[in-house]
Amino acid sequence: MDPMEVFKIEVTGQEEFGAKKYREIIMDILQDLGLIRSIGRLYVYIDIMKPVFAVYGLLRSGIPPLTVKDVGDVLKVEGGYQIKINDEEHMSDLLKVLWAQYGRERVEQPSRDIVVIASDTPPSGLTVADLEAEFLQDLTDALLRVAPEGFRNRRNEMTKDSFFFIAAEETLKPEMIAEMKQKIREMENA
Amino acid sequence: MLEPVMFTGGVYKHDLVIELVEDLGGYVLQKNVTQSEVILLLLVPTEDMPALESLIKELRGELVRAPLAGTEVAVVTPTLAIHHLPHTACDIAEYLRRNGAKSNMMGLARGVGREIAQINEYESALINEHDAAVFIFGNFAECIRKKESLYRNISVPVVVTGGPKIPKEDLPYAFEYVPSIGRVAHRARKATEIGTLDSIIDAVGRALDRTRNEISKDPLTTSPPRVMDAVREQVPEVEYSYSPLPIALNLNGLRVKLPYQGYRDAVKAVTFDEGVKLGEIATIKPSRMKEYILVRILPASETGFVF
Repeated sequence: MDPMEVFKIEVTGQEEFGAKKYREIIMDILQDLGLIRSIGRLYVYIDIMKPVFAVYGLLRSGIPPLTVKDVGDVLKVEGGYQIKINDEEHMSDLLKVLWAQYGRERVEQPSRDIVVIASDTPPSGLTVADLEAEFLQDLTDALLRVAPEGFRNRRNEMTKDSFFFIAAEETLKPEMIAEMKQKIREMENA
Repeated sequence: MLEPVMFTGGVYKHDLVIELVEDLGGYVLQKNVTQSEVILLLLVPTEDMPALESLIKELRGELVRAPLAGTEVAVVTPTLAIHHLPHTACDIAEYLRRNGAKSNMMGLARGVGREIAQINEYESALINEHDAAVFIFGNFAECIRKKESLYRNISVPVVVTGGPKIPKEDLPYAFEYVPSIGRVAHRARKATEIGTLDSIIDAVGRALDRTRNEISKDPLTTSPPRVMDAVREQVPEVEYSYSPLPIALNLNGLRVKLPYQGYRDAVKAVTFDEGVKLGEIATIKPSRMKEYILVRILPASETGFVF
């Protein structure tokens, strides 16, 4: 069963096999990059005679930015605050943020997963990483991997809750983009 | 008749296998030592197989038939980008290797797309140095038909693979078409996927058999493994080549992995027991692969004798 609410693929001509296979490829790539849970609906339209490849997707609700209290436990200690890191993945981002906020001389790392700050203000609310920006980067990467390789002319329109990606061998003309958007709207309403 | 086989076993006493094969008049094509294990590609006279089998049983090794041994097969993808590699291409190349072939992976510079795909003279000349080629295409029948232009001018048999089922008549320039292995984003692990790899090996085997048949109508002056042995003996520098396989065999000759400029004359001067020089029975030219030496043995119709 698909983890997405809607996942439709339409391919022109006698290419049922291609449609079936592209479904598998898209699932494999989205799963590899860990994006599958963030996409609600996905519509893919491929016209191999033109040839053009278009994807339209609706994203699930936004991802909140990662704060210091998400990556570790903040404790009040003598002369400042101590952060016990639980998620090392964002360690470098965390240190960068703390250095920028408090200055290097007030941030100390006595052991691998402990950071001590000499300050009166708790660091809990500081933003460590903007996960949404990372997600959008990964999504663009996934779309480039999914699209057939020869389709070098690409356009990617991203908004807060949706994305539209089109790739073709020939130059992308406004009429073609409009036509693809129309096709995808038809798929949505079908 | 020489039987192509692959021996896998421990390093301990494996030189006994090599000695026996040489005593029987067979050839060691390739030797790969991986830590404590050794893999040997051998050509052994069919009538002496029981002798080898009993020795290998004693050494607790494994002996399997390697139908593609002594051949070089090109695995060609439209490019070397993430869309075509690694899964399908590596699976096919690895499978060819397990069956004894020397497989070379090639990505074309501009092989992508439906309308814009192209191949240049250098690429086709390089593919023509192999014994057969496998072209890996994608999932759309229309694109596979259109991309025929990529292999139309290749003179060695071309096995085309792709996703959908396409009747053979639609691809007149392909030796064979193997369906259900188009673009995939995972390694082959299901039984059906492995089965498809087997059918590619079968198709390549048939392609090589056709070439072997053609050669048998006008046999080569001498066999490539014999030339390999002589070159190995008389041009010892070849053993110092950095390539894992310093001499690669083809059905109609071999590739010596030494610089053409420096070693052309040494290879030409290789002499056989019968007093014939290699330069007299073969053309020796620069290979398209790096600066290597390509040896093409002349057929009996040109030299007038076979030994």
